[in-house]
Amino acid sequence: MLNDGSFFIAVAVLAATAFATRLAGVVLMAWVPPGPRVERFLEGLAVSVIAALVASALVTADIKTVAAILVAIALMALTRSIIWAMLAGMVAAATYPLVMSL
Amino acid sequence: MSRLLPICMFVVPFGIAFGIAAVEQGIGPYQATAMSAFVFTATAQFASLEFLHDPVAFASLGLVALALSGRHIIMGAALSKWLNHLPLGKRLATIMFLSDANFADTQTLLQRGETDLGPLMGGGVMLWITWVSSTALGAFGGDLLGDTDAYGFGVVMLCFFAATAFGMVRRATTMALPAAAAIAVSVATYPVLPTGWNIILAAVIGGLVSAFANVE
Repeated sequence: MLNDGSFFIAVAVLAATAFATRLAGVVLMAWVPPGPRVERFLEGLAVSVIAALVASALVTADIKTVAAILVAIALMALTRSIIWAMLAGMVAAATYPLVMSL
Repeated sequence: MSRLLPICMFVVPFGIAFGIAAVEQGIGPYQATAMSAFVFTATAQFASLEFLHDPVAFASLGLVALALSGRHIIMGAALSKWLNHLPLGKRLATIMFLSDANFADTQTLLQRGETDLGPLMGGGVMLWITWVSSTALGAFGGDLLGDTDAYGFGVVMLCFFAATAFGMVRRATTMALPAAAAIAVSVATYPVLPTGWNIILAAVIGGLVSAFANVE
């Protein structure tokens, strides 16, 4: 069980952490003098955080998810459309058991 | 931003699942909905449920929340070039609605040379409304909805992120090496680092690779 006081503090801790982390990067970078190297660092951060998010999830993902993501990347390469890539990935995940049973 | 409409659809089952899980944990439906409204970080909220029983281990709760929302620090830094031009009020309003999906969505636009962060905030508000209302749906009506695991939220979201990263690398091939480094680091450190920290470390290393390896 959880009393109202503990719940309130817990949500305050979560909300404060969420807001602080959203703010921290922007505030931090306001102090760093801009330059070509910093700019490349930030460009690298942007693509890396997304790539790492996917890779990290794939470590424990099932084969169906891996297949769906491969299909999505293939469609992205062919159509250059994120929407088509997502739709194809979704269809691949949904039909995977069917395709494998053929 | 139109790309975020299908993403929002797939946030719904996830929000419903959180509402149901929170109520099962003994949290009232109003409280669960308020939690989604104030925290707006799905992974941190799911992880926090394990800590929400008396006595609450507040320090551990804070650490887990930090690990799982720490990637927002990275995203904020990556957006700082555009964000820090905005007036303070608008900067705060935009950053409050930062999340993985609208960050990834905006990258495609920024790489094309757009400078307007309106889609970041618009997409964030859309995701926030979807997240809060679907939590409420799960918290108040969970009994009627049954099993939501089958909707496959995770897969579609991952496809969206994978396609976005792939598109970014193709538009700027100098990003291939940083992305590869980040993938390698996140996978290699996954077993040894607590969840979340491996992504943060991988992103920083990818950034460093980009800063020091791409000498034109």
